[in-house]
Amino acid sequence: MKNNIIILGGGQAGIYAAREIRQNDSKSNIKILGEENLLPYERPPLSKDFLLDKKKEEDLYFHSSDVLKNENIEFENISINKVDFENKKLFAKNDNVYSYDSLLISTGSENKKLTLDNNLKNDIYYLRNLEEAKKIKEIVSNKNKITIIGGGFIGLEIASSLSQLQKKVIVIEIGNQLMGRIIPKQIADLVQNTHIEHGNEIILNKQIEKITKKNGDYEILLNDNSLIETDFIIAGIGSTPTVKLFENTNLKLDNGIVTNQFCETSIKDVYAAGDVSNFYHPFYERNMRLESYQHAQNHGICAGKNIAGVKTEYTSIPWMWSDQFNLNLQLTGICDEYDEIIERGKDINNGVIYFFLKNNKIRGACGVGIIGKVGRDIRITSKLTEKNTIVDNQILSDQNLKLNKLIQK
Amino acid sequence: MSEENWIEVGSTDSIEEEDLIRFDHQDKTFCVYKLTDGFYATDGICTHEAVHLEDGLVMDDEIECPMHQGIFNIKSGEALSPPACEDLKTYPVKVDNDKIFIKID
Ligand SMILES: Cc1cc2nc3c(=O)[nH]c(=O)nc-3n(C[C@H](O)[C@H](O)[C@H](O)COP(=O)(O)OP(=O)(O)OC[C@H]3O[C@@H](n4cnc5c(N)ncnc54)[C@H](O)[C@@H]3O)c2cc1C
Ligand code: FES
Repeated sequence: MKNNIIILGGGQAGIYAAREIRQNDSKSNIKILGEENLLPYERPPLSKDFLLDKKKEEDLYFHSSDVLKNENIEFENISINKVDFENKKLFAKNDNVYSYDSLLISTGSENKKLTLDNNLKNDIYYLRNLEEAKKIKEIVSNKNKITIIGGGFIGLEIASSLSQLQKKVIVIEIGNQLMGRIIPKQIADLVQNTHIEHGNEIILNKQIEKITKKNGDYEILLNDNSLIETDFIIAGIGSTPTVKLFENTNLKLDNGIVTNQFCETSIKDVYAAGDVSNFYHPFYERNMRLESYQHAQNHGICAGKNIAGVKTEYTSIPWMWSDQFNLNLQLTGICDEYDEIIERGKDINNGVIYFFLKNNKIRGACGVGIIGKVGRDIRITSKLTEKNTIVDNQILSDQNLKLNKLIQK
Repeated sequence: MSEENWIEVGSTDSIEEEDLIRFDHQDKTFCVYKLTDGFYATDGICTHEAVHLEDGLVMDDEIECPMHQGIFNIKSGEALSPPACEDLKTYPVKVDNDKIFIKID
């Protein structure tokens, strides 16, 4: 049967879903509606290699327009501003109306904005999309002292890139460690040391009281009355799922769009995937929302299968990375449900990993090391987690013993 | 084809099964693998970003990059999983008297 399938949001989850639907369904119309006037592209390089000029715009696209044409996937640059789930219709600002039989929502997430009392809205920069990355890149080229508000992954990646561009960088973080509570303090401290070694200043436990503009530069007043002078401000203070469009509808929302393990929402024929979805994970037996490259890809693929009628559970063990200076940090599984923590390694040159176990089984792990040093072990950890392997703590904690010995074939 | 192109990598027991070793020759780096059906060789650096694949995970016929989990088929070099999208170069391998040789062009 020929269906009209609409994918709302032309990012990573959207494009992977579209191609997966086409693999399983050669007849239906597939249309991606995206408000960015760009084919789906990778966001991770925006804070890293794109700022560093090691990757250009053309390197970021997942697929060329030829691939989409060959697979008969339509991409339309349009912003949707109203939905009518009852009549299965989407409305755009220009009065265009789109009818669907099945809808995938993959609207991603958006940056939280600082609440400032004075009129500095246009002076603070944020990074989520290519346009913003281009603007930041252009402006920083003639700035010297840059302040990043928020010591999360994206803020720290920008701090690393700008430092490599010979800028003086200050990071202000409200919490008592970098990268939030999800990352073990020991690992956060190792990353912090690397930033400091490269000349970045890291200020923890401080809140912004006030920002004032002075002769084109800025003065940031902190809650301990200290004053920072800076000529450019970027904020990375976390993000929220892009769900404003659905707030007054029947769609069930709770920290994103609530979906089951088949990417199905509370409304029939409406699916959600990627950053926007708070999905049920059957392995962990709970809902979670992830903002990661691997998840956007695999969740999109899973949604695509389900939309095409191939009923498929989403069971991927979460995984994400962050690259800062010569460090590669990786996180697998979940690290907030444990009764035991095991440390593997102490030296960043060989990699340091913390495993989080419950009932002798790994639930998650977080590691950091010089590029290449933790990836293999983290990957094996995902496999051990997935297979519910009872692990020998001795092997986990001894870096001289190979972890692949633990994988049961 | 001239004989000189075959470069000795090491002895066949220098690699465990389903594993790899890194081999540097002049200014290039290679990875030499022992799979269940024999020896294979590829470029030693990921095509996505410059990271050594020697630290990657070999599973069946695939090598997975340690940095962003890009996956390549070891025998064909084909990039199988993003963010890797450019194929990895492969090289012929031969075994002679328990020694592994790769042919570099
Ligand atoms: C700077 C940066 C660096 C990152 N680095 C890493 C990293 O190192 N490692 C990692 O694992 N992950 C990283 N991520 C996270 C990863 O990129 C995201 O998790 C992933 O892009 C999510 O994909 P998505 O399809 O859910 O959403 P997105 O890729 O954000 O796509 C959503 C799209 O929907 C569009 N949209 C929204 N509302 C509407 C509407 N009403 N009408 C039409 N279109 C709409 C948006 O404009 C956007 O184009 C990074 C993200 C950013 C921003
Ligand atoms: S460096 Fe190998 S996948 Fe990115």
